[in-house]
Amino acid sequence: MGLQAYLTLAAVVFCIGLFGVMTRRNTIGILLGIELMLNSVNINLVAFARYSGDVTGMVFTLFTICITVAEAAVGLALVILLFRVRRTVTADHLDLLKG
Amino acid sequence: MMAGDGTLALAALLLHATAFLVLAIAAPLRRLGRPAAYVSILCAAGSLAAAVLSWRAHTGEAISRLVWTWLPSEGQTLATVGVLADADSTVMLTLVALVALLVQVYSLGYLSDERAPSLGRYYAYQSLFAFSMMGLVLAPNFVQLFICWELVGLCSYLLIGFWYERPAAARAALKAFWITKTGDVGLLIGIVLIWRHTGTFDLTEMRVLAGNGAIPLAGLSVMTFCIYLGAVGKSAQFPLHIWLPDAMEGPTPVSALIHAATMVTAGVYLLHRTDWLFALTPDVLAIVVWVGAFTALLSAVLACVQNDIKRVLAYSTISQLSYMMAAIGAGFSGAGFLHLLTHGVFKALLFLGAGAIIHAVHSNDLPDMGRLARRMPQTAIVFTVGALSLAGLPLFAGFLSKEEILGAVLAGGFAAPFAMLVLVAFLTAFYMFRVVFLAFFAAPPAGHAGAAAASGAPHVADASHHASHGAAAHEPHEPPSSMLLPLWVLALLSVATGVFFTVVHPEPEFESPAWLMPVGVGSAVAGILLAWATYQRRAIDAASLAAAFGPIYRGALARFWIDAVFERAYRLALLGFSRLVGWIDRYLVDGVLNVLSAWTVQAGDDLRTMQTGRVQDYVYGIAVGLLVLLLWVQFN
Amino acid sequence: MSADVLAFWFLAIVLVGSALAVVLTKNLFHAVLWLALALTGTAGVFLLLDAEFLAAVQLLLYAGGIVTIVVFAIVVTERLVGERLSQTSRRIGGGAVVAGGVLALLLNAMRGQPFPAARPEMAGDLTRLIGETVLTRFVLPFELLAVLMLAALMGAIYFARPDE
Repeated sequence: MGLQAYLTLAAVVFCIGLFGVMTRRNTIGILLGIELMLNSVNINLVAFARYSGDVTGMVFTLFTICITVAEAAVGLALVILLFRVRRTVTADHLDLLKG
Repeated sequence: MMAGDGTLALAALLLHATAFLVLAIAAPLRRLGRPAAYVSILCAAGSLAAAVLSWRAHTGEAISRLVWTWLPSEGQTLATVGVLADADSTVMLTLVALVALLVQVYSLGYLSDERAPSLGRYYAYQSLFAFSMMGLVLAPNFVQLFICWELVGLCSYLLIGFWYERPAAARAALKAFWITKTGDVGLLIGIVLIWRHTGTFDLTEMRVLAGNGAIPLAGLSVMTFCIYLGAVGKSAQFPLHIWLPDAMEGPTPVSALIHAATMVTAGVYLLHRTDWLFALTPDVLAIVVWVGAFTALLSAVLACVQNDIKRVLAYSTISQLSYMMAAIGAGFSGAGFLHLLTHGVFKALLFLGAGAIIHAVHSNDLPDMGRLARRMPQTAIVFTVGALSLAGLPLFAGFLSKEEILGAVLAGGFAAPFAMLVLVAFLTAFYMFRVVFLAFFAAPPAGHAGAAAASGAPHVADASHHASHGAAAHEPHEPPSSMLLPLWVLALLSVATGVFFTVVHPEPEFESPAWLMPVGVGSAVAGILLAWATYQRRAIDAASLAAAFGPIYRGALARFWIDAVFERAYRLALLGFSRLVGWIDRYLVDGVLNVLSAWTVQAGDDLRTMQTGRVQDYVYGIAVGLLVLLLWVQFN
Repeated sequence: MSADVLAFWFLAIVLVGSALAVVLTKNLFHAVLWLALALTGTAGVFLLLDAEFLAAVQLLLYAGGIVTIVVFAIVVTERLVGERLSQTSRRIGGGAVVAGGVLALLLNAMRGQPFPAARPEMAGDLTRLIGETVLTRFVLPFELLAVLMLAALMGAIYFARPDE
């Protein structure tokens, strides 16, 4: 299998994640979509690193995973806080920035 | 002492500048009042001495130039600054220095009740005024001349509006400034055009060019006419004469200064100074003659109906200036210049004498006076000397110069202006002796008990000013010696020059018929006799005399509606322009902005609905943006 | 068809299928479980790419850590709201078009590019290489990462703490 196969797979997963972010009503569902997109990026990084013989990409993947976990933890904490204040889970109801 | 090199003339000029600078910078000294006046008078006296010495050194053809380069431009000098001393400029300088000194001495008495700070301010202005006029007189080129010309205008504004708390004075000052400024625009344009035409500002160089016939004649008429416009404004020629009578709002010594030596004489002097230039454009000279003769007649008629003594003198000044203009226009500027000098002496005398009367009577109005000769014999004598000089009787200062002007206009071939000027000579004698008889000899009209301190609310400038301090009615009395001394000096000078010219009687540079002198003197005597019969003997009723000239009398009372026309035109133009500007501002400038802001608000109102506040709509936007970016990258 | 190719296709089908299930399933709890499967599939892909260490990290952090946190969040919020969280979607058509368009254009961009088909031999053990690189060349980012994790931990606790 060549590099292109991995990249294609990553692109497909990325677009599925994007679709989820755009369509999910639940904030937790949106976060799940974001996780999928980040994962596809990780796949890309590792594939490029392996096919170019440079280990730097993999180190970056390590960092990405750590940051993703931190982001997920903070994001979910925010969701809990939001639930507590606004009593809603639906992203459409969170429109304080409406013009 | 090298008197012949212009140093003395420069010293005369700089002494006044020194006085002004000292008073302007040393504010504590200025606020002391009288010490400031002494400084100024001391400098003026020194200046007079220097001017006289300089005059004696520059008789005949002697010319000295003392110039420094100024305004360097592309390797050559664009303009110079300095003095050009010759026979004409030094004698004028002497006149200016003399009148300035006498007026300053006189003001000590006249303004003795002025508060100290404003007295200091007055003397600072006086010094600046004299300096500006001297700079103008001695100017070696048009640039310095114009700068001093404007300074003179500024000083006249400051001094006419000296009592600036009074609205009438402030308005008169503004009027004088604006109307002379109208002429000054013409002068500036003329100077620049001349410079483009000849390539120099320098009077001497230009004169050499004119003598060689090196100045092209094409278009020169426009330039000399523009220069003449400046003289029209400054020397109060029709139609810009209307500022001068209003300038009476200033203190009387200021009027004397403006009328005799500085300010109004500047225009005549300018034309005399550049007569070789005007000689190249006879068509403009013809305009000068006709305007001069017309203005002389107009203002003489106006002077006959004035009740305010200072206004009579103001109109007589316009009339006499027009005499000079007529002579210059006829091509004999020497005659006009001679009259300028003699007129300077006796007009200063008349104004200072009028100031003495006002000082005593606390009124400007002739009906408030009468039989003053008993109480103020000295003033009566000197004022009568001045009136005789103005009328142009033999043995008095105005005699020869007035006759020369009449001869010059006749020799120039202007018959109709000559007739007008003879009529003016008659009218001049009439209105001057109307003043003399009404003020000094005739009994005051019923209801006016001699002194006007009792006459309710005096409404005229000096009168109200003086009445403010001495409310108690008191007998008119002779003025203090600081005021009498200048009067006697001027009176003696008037008689001395008159006797000198009557006895010596220098031959004029033109042929004049033998009947000229009897006509001139005769018309003057006739005027005096008419005034005597009307106002002293009351053999002729003044009211029926006025009725005989019905329309003219009524027109003259309304100043021939010239002021009204000017005011109307001024308002019309100004208000019309203001309305136009207002309309443009309101509907064009503001309109564009209002439309733009309305569009902005509307666009913002429409666009804000894009901001739903929902996170996913923004993600949509990002995704669509990514899509468009990819499309653009791949298919462009 | 070699074992590698077979494994790739298997993992690709699992990954894509579970990803689709994450974004399409109605039950939020099920979606989380599908996500766990997708993350595990990703770990498999890492294994295919010889990155055993990363696969282990992926399993530990994601499949273990994140999924646990998410489940915990769901449980807490459900208890707060007092009803079952249903997972519905909005604008499915528009989202599909946009996402599909992006995918098509990405694939179009990749088409015809000279991507290498063969893998170069790595110099030694990859795990060892990663370890050495992290602790030499990237030691500063690595330490900063530790600070970041700590900050995120404290922030999350601060946000989610109960009202006083």
